[in-house]
Amino acid sequence: MYVLDPTAEADPQPVSRAPRLDSLHHRTIGLLSNGKAAVAPLFDHLESLLRHEWKANEVLRVTKGNYSAPAEPDLIRELARCHLIFTGVGD
Amino acid sequence: MVLSTRLLSTRHEVEDEQAAQDFLHRKGWTDGLPVIPPTPERVLSCLDEAVLAPNQVIGIEPVRARPITAEKAAVNAVLAGCQPAHFPVVAAILEAMCRPEFLLHGATSSTGGCAVLIVVNGPVRLKLGMEPTFNVLGNSDRASVVIGRAVRLVLSNVLDLRPDRLDRATLGHPGKFGYCMAEDEEGSDWTPLAQLRGAPAGVSAVTVLAAGAPRQIMNEWTAVPEEILETFAAEMRANMLHYSIWGGNYAIIVPKQLRDRLQEVGWSKQDVQQFLFERARVRKRDWTRVGKGALVTVTNGDEEHGALPSPTDLLVIAAGGPAGGFGAVIPPWFGHKSRAVTTGVGVCFAC
Repeated sequence: MYVLDPTAEADPQPVSRAPRLDSLHHRTIGLLSNGKAAVAPLFDHLESLLRHEWKANEVLRVTKGNYSAPAEPDLIRELARCHLIFTGVGD
Repeated sequence: MVLSTRLLSTRHEVEDEQAAQDFLHRKGWTDGLPVIPPTPERVLSCLDEAVLAPNQVIGIEPVRARPITAEKAAVNAVLAGCQPAHFPVVAAILEAMCRPEFLLHGATSSTGGCAVLIVVNGPVRLKLGMEPTFNVLGNSDRASVVIGRAVRLVLSNVLDLRPDRLDRATLGHPGKFGYCMAEDEEGSDWTPLAQLRGAPAGVSAVTVLAAGAPRQIMNEWTAVPEEILETFAAEMRANMLHYSIWGGNYAIIVPKQLRDRLQEVGWSKQDVQQFLFERARVRKRDWTRVGKGALVTVTNGDEEHGALPSPTDLLVIAAGGPAGGFGAVIPPWFGHKSRAVTTGVGVCFAC
């Protein structure tokens, strides 16, 4: 007898990794928080490193309005000018 | 068998029914309980019953853009034990869950650990022999059990929402095996839930809610509507303090014994909604007496939070056995982030 596969099976859309940056120097870095409290101290420390140790040009910190939903389109557009983005999940 | 060439799923050859059980469990495609092997014939019978083509998209999970096709839904419905007649209800439930306002990905992957409460209204309940009275939140009848289970298996197998994958629930609750019930329309003078939420009278419909576990209440010592409902309000306030302060779609189940007391003095579902809208409220300072004082500041203590953003956010469900003053409050997963959705079975009344 035959049984059918119950899983999605279809290949997800292909994605590829962005090229690595050679340096963070003079780059614009985005920090996207999911909005939970535990993200803040982590990003505070990361922002300090980015600004003072790695000499980033600008650190753009934004927070999702709903940590259970995707980032709002306005946030995505705002982050589009960044060279690198960190996302933080505060669980 | 000729028709089965229309199916796109990979076929796995197994020796017999027992070998199929072993294979399906070994692959991790079950909930741990025995399943019905999804043969092409059984799957096609479900699709034929719902008049759905195998590749028809029932819905798309919006965040990860994952489609749920009729074929994959039917494969999982068979796994769960559904007969063909059950499948149109399963398809309607999945369609409702894919509406953006339901926030399917967040609700089903959250640490909060909710399950999908399903309430069925209309003639399909009678056709399927759904039993909205005794043990309505347990193993009340075959249809409720297998329909609820089918939804969970679709989430696990099609959307990868397994405990070891995308389902990150800290605890979860027993409703994750299935959380489906019918409303007792015949035993109530009240307007059916789906009709209050926009369905035409006499049309079969389903309502889905991303919901926590039921919190049972009891009040057998009064016939006064306000006193009966104050017990429900107290449980809603307790949920706001012990779990989440945020308002959203709460559901309450009112059994016949309590319903009769309300209906004999003319209380409608709308009256119940209005009463609980006004009474199910807490202030942030109340958190101090349940161990969450760290969240209360000198300025936010007087902030009032209502369980219901509006009276119509309360889903009032008539169900339960005929004797006993036991009701239930079913809280939302997390406030208003996910909203209850009602849709027709095999018919679009919102189109």
